[in-house]
Order: sequence, then C-alpha cells, then structure tokens
Amino acid sequence: MPASPLLALTHFMTLAILLVPLVISMLTTKVWIIEKTKTSVKTAFFTSTLSFLLFKLSPPLSVVMDYSLLSASTFHLKLNLKFDLYSMLFTPTALYISWCILEFSQWYMDKDPYPSKFTKYLLTFIMAMMILVSANSPLLFFIGWEGVGILSFFLIAWWQNRPNTNTSALQAIIYNRMGDIGLISCLAWLTTRLNTLALQKIFTCDDFITLLPLLGLILAAMGKSAQFGLHPWLPAAVEGPTPISALLHSSTMVVAGIFLLIHMHPLLTLNKYALSACLLLGAITSLVAAFYALTQNDIKKIIAFSTSSHLGFMMVTVGLDQPQLAFLHLSLHAFFKAMLFLCSGSIIHNLNNEQDIRKMGGLHKCLPITSACLTIGSMALAGTPFLTGFYSKDIIIETMTTSHLNAFALLITLIATSFTVVYSLRITMFVQTGQPQHMSMLLLDEYNPLVINPIIRLAAGSIAAGLIISMNITPLETLPMTMPMYIKTVTLVVVALSLLMALKLAAMTNKMPPKSSHTHNFSNSLMYFNTMIHRSTPMITSTISEKYSTRMMDSTWQEKMGPKKLAESQVLPTKTTSSLQKGLIKIYLTSFILSILLLTYLFY
Amino acid sequence: MTPLHFSYLSAFIVSIMGLSLHRTYLISTLLCLESMMLSMFIALSMWPIQLQTSSFMLTPMLMLSFSACEAGTGLSLLVASSRTHGSDHLQNLNLLQC
Repeated sequence: MPASPLLALTHFMTLAILLVPLVISMLTTKVWIIEKTKTSVKTAFFTSTLSFLLFKLSPPLSVVMDYSLLSASTFHLKLNLKFDLYSMLFTPTALYISWCILEFSQWYMDKDPYPSKFTKYLLTFIMAMMILVSANSPLLFFIGWEGVGILSFFLIAWWQNRPNTNTSALQAIIYNRMGDIGLISCLAWLTTRLNTLALQKIFTCDDFITLLPLLGLILAAMGKSAQFGLHPWLPAAVEGPTPISALLHSSTMVVAGIFLLIHMHPLLTLNKYALSACLLLGAITSLVAAFYALTQNDIKKIIAFSTSSHLGFMMVTVGLDQPQLAFLHLSLHAFFKAMLFLCSGSIIHNLNNEQDIRKMGGLHKCLPITSACLTIGSMALAGTPFLTGFYSKDIIIETMTTSHLNAFALLITLIATSFTVVYSLRITMFVQTGQPQHMSMLLLDEYNPLVINPIIRLAAGSIAAGLIISMNITPLETLPMTMPMYIKTVTLVVVALSLLMALKLAAMTNKMPPKSSHTHNFSNSLMYFNTMIHRSTPMITSTISEKYSTRMMDSTWQEKMGPKKLAESQVLPTKTTSSLQKGLIKIYLTSFILSILLLTYLFY
Repeated sequence: MTPLHFSYLSAFIVSIMGLSLHRTYLISTLLCLESMMLSMFIALSMWPIQLQTSSFMLTPMLMLSFSACEAGTGLSLLVASSRTHGSDHLQNLNLLQC
C-alpha cells in the first residue's frame, strides 16, 4: 500500500503533538511547562523520524498536498504542502535540536518569571518553521517566514528592559523587512504573471522567468540569512537568551533564507547571473564575517559571526548550482552550532553572566564536559575529517575547486575557511587554557543532568550525524570523484596551515602587552559598517523627507505658493478697501477729489 | 487763459480741495462751501460784463440768494448734528448704525 497517506498522517501527528503544550501554556503559568514542552518536542522528534523513514521507504521522491482555500474562476488559492527530502529531513533535525535546547533552557531559564510565555513563543516559532519548510507555494512560505521573523523579534527582546536588547530586536525586524521586500515582490511577480502558486507548476515555466523575481529571492535570502549588506542584525541578536540564540540564530531561522533558495532552485538554475550573484555574495559574506570574528571579545558574538560565515558558505553552494549540498551543510551545521551556543551558555551561566572571553580561562579543568564538547564543536566547524562538518564542508570545497567558477570567490572562501580555524582556536585558547581570569568565589559545576545531557546529545550528533544523514540522501548529481591530489587535500592543508600559523603567532605574542593597530580596530568595529549605515541611512531618509517632501513640496509649493499665498495677498487690499467703507461721511466727501481731478483733466 | 479767469478758477479748485480734504471739523466744510460760492459769484459777475450780455446781469443776484439759503441749511445741519452727536467732529458722522 502506498505510504503517502501514512506519511502525511505522521507529519501532521508531529504538528499536533507540538500544538498540545502550546494550548497548555495558554492555560497555566507554572514552571513545569518547559519540561512538558521538552517531552512533547521529544515525542514529536521521534514521530518525525518515523515519517522520514516512511519517506525513505516509499517510492515517490516527493508528496504534494493541495487543499483548496479559495476558488475563483482563474485564480485558485490552495494550501499546498510539500513533503520532499528537504522538509522530511529538516523536521527531525530541527526537532532534535529544539529538544536539546528545551532541556537546556529548563536549567538556563529556571529563575525566569515567565516560563509559559517562553514556551508559547518557542512553540509558535517551531510551528512557523514547520510551515515554512513544508510549504509548496510561496504564499504559505511567506506566512511561515513572517512567523519566524516576528517570533525572533519577541524572543530577542526577551529581557526587554535593556536598551541594547530593544535596539537589537528592532534591527532584526528592520533588516528582515528589507529582505521581505524582495520576497513580496517575487510573490507579486509570480501572482500577476502565472495563474498558480504551486511550486511544481511554477517550475515548468522555464522560459518565462526573468532575472527580476530571482533578484527578489536573493534579496529575501540576504535579509533573513544575514548576508553582507543586511548582516548587522545577526551579531546584535545575541542579546537574547542563549537557548534562543542556539535555536533561532544558528540552526533554524537564519537558514530560512537559504532554504528559500534551495526550494526555488529550479528557477535559479535558469539564470547564470543570479547564480553568480549568489556565489559572490556568499563568498564575501563568508570572508567578512570570519574577519569580524577574529577580533571580537564576546563569546556569543564570535559564534554568531561564525554562523554568518557558514551562511555565506551555504550561499556559495547555492551559487554553485548544488542545492542538495547546501541543504546538507544546513542540517549538519545546525548540530555543532547549536552545541557551541549551548556550551557557551553553560560557561556564561557558570561564570555568573560573564561573556567576555578575556575574563575566562582555565575552564578545561573546571568544566571538563563543556570544554570537551566545545573542542568537538570547533573541530567539526573547521571540517576535521570524519566529524560532521567534514561531510558537507569538504565536499563543497571539492565541488568548488573542480567547477568552472569565479576564482575570486574560490580564493576568499578558502581564506574564510582558514579564518574559521583561527577564531575557533582563539575561543579555545582564551576560554579553556591559561590561568583563570574570572572572579574567584565562583562555584563552577556541571553536575546538573539538564545541562550535560543536551550538550552530550548534540556532541553525539556532531560526530555521527554527518555520516547518518549523508548516507540517507540520494544525490541528484554525481559528486566529483577524480581530482588532483592537491585539490583533494586543499581543505585539510588550509586548515592545518592556518592552525599552525595561529598557534605560532599566539605563542610569539602571548607574553607581549596588547597593542591596538588600525586593522585590529577595523575588524573589531565591524569595518565601521554599523557606524556608517545606522547613522547615515536614516539621516538621509529624514533629511530628504524633511527638506524635500515636507518643506519644499508640502509647505512651499502646495501651501505657501498656492492657496495660502492667495489668501495672504488678499488681506492688504481688503484692509485698505475696507477702511474706505466704514460709513464715514468724511470718506465720501473725499471722493469729490476724483471728480474734480477728472474735470480739470478733461477741460484743461 | 487770462489771469482773471485763472484766479477764480484756482480759487474754486482750492476750495473744493479744502472741502474734500478737511480733517476734523464739519464747519471747515461749510466755510469751503462759502468760498466756492464766492468764487462762483465772482465768475458769474465777470462773465456778463466781459461779454456785454445785459440779460445775464441778474444771475449773480440769484446765485447769492441761493447761497444764503444753502449756508443757512448747512449751519442748521451743523447745529442739528452737534445736538445729536455732541460735537461736530466728522468722525462721529457715520452711516453705519453700530
């Protein structure tokens, strides 16, 4: 019997299981709600694994469901859901990570006064993400997109009495909105020119799609996935609680932009300019974010920039015409990035909310499990052979070096890979080795299973998930099999060389007093991008709107030159004339002058 | 024109100017009226003498009697207005009721 109805059933069961704690959280505000949510997310994870296995066993590569919402004569609005490899594989990954994060947040947020609100927001976020990944029409996708955007805003601004937090949340919303313009314009373009919004039907219109909707999609990915140009919100988003950073801004929400490009890949393939744009944009993002991460001092910011760099890397893969590899990197990256964030959360909480790495040290002995997992995560990030990151990163770089592409993009991606190692080493050196720089009377412990179990689970994922997931994907194209030796080992060589160089530099300069240089300041202040853009862009807009729109057009041309001037110019003659008509006899007698002058003039 | 013509013409014009451009008192209007009458009397007297038309020699006399009536009317108006308005300031004479 065909497994497709069963597939749909299990997927909907997953969603229904996720709805239960949402309803409960609206009815109660007790603190045990997070534990119940964790249990339900765990159950949903197992259910979604079941549906993935069903998907693997069943013959069709994808299942599409059409449910008609609105039927006009020419336009039919349907609730399209698509269960293909991407949504079926992403759901268990996202739920696994959400499970670990919810367990962690039982410990991290245990003194929080609003646990049910937290649960509500998190569950709504997960539901929106599920809608996003299983959407078959851009309209439904947009609903999920907006959902994750607004929930990100709520969750970043969790501790809303800090002014920095409010600014960051506002930044997130504004930059996401600028990306939304692209998505909405693409949606509008498609709606006005095609009579359907179902993806499988859009993909058949090969010769019809021009560059404009694709640029809209790339803009949307720029906004949501923090590519260079619309990137400042991602490092600012670390103002939110660490579980939120781990879920939203490393694994799930920021990949929504890349997910859009992966889903719409058949459209992107048609236009080589769009692909080149993706490639170069991704490469620049990758390099710039890694450059920023080299000199940051806040541990969460370094990991956020690392996320941004890997998002650029995923964009490069999309630009290489390899959506499956991008998706692979997306799912695998989620594991170790979430783990890195959770380790940093454990460190921060144990050091009494200290986030500056210059004030940490020697945690190798004090928090052994956390630091071990931090090391595993850093190694997976750098692409150490046969850990998780290797399965996606190495293949992507191999594909890059064997394809016909822009050499500049290739070069800067390799440089970004080397920077990855350097900043991971920086975290490891500052946090784990050396003498402790933190306060003396701190009680560091990691005996709470709520902390350890999620981190260890994600570490297991970081090690094994690469193999498991890449075995279960049927590749759409043949991977590059033969290449020269120096191409095959380029990642390894780059990583090893940069590691050695960084170690040597650190050893040489460790005992010297710190001296700031121009490059260091440039990198630390984020290339002054925030300083320039956050002041100048609103200033330009305000100046234009004040000088030109309000003062010149509205006030001057339409008020003072037109009606008001007319009214003003009537006043003086009116005053003069009305003074003549006060009814005084004197004035009437004065008008005799006129007749006499006339007489004189006429007769003489 | 002859100096004689010019003299009573200019006297007439000056007194009409005085009638229209007075400032405060109504009585100056009446005085200018009288001077207008005077210049017209002289003009009317000179005209039949110069042109030797004896049938118009009576006109200055008629003029004089009419001007006496009008002077009397003017003065009575002045007295009446000063009785109602309290003075003969021209600002008080207003067609408007408020």
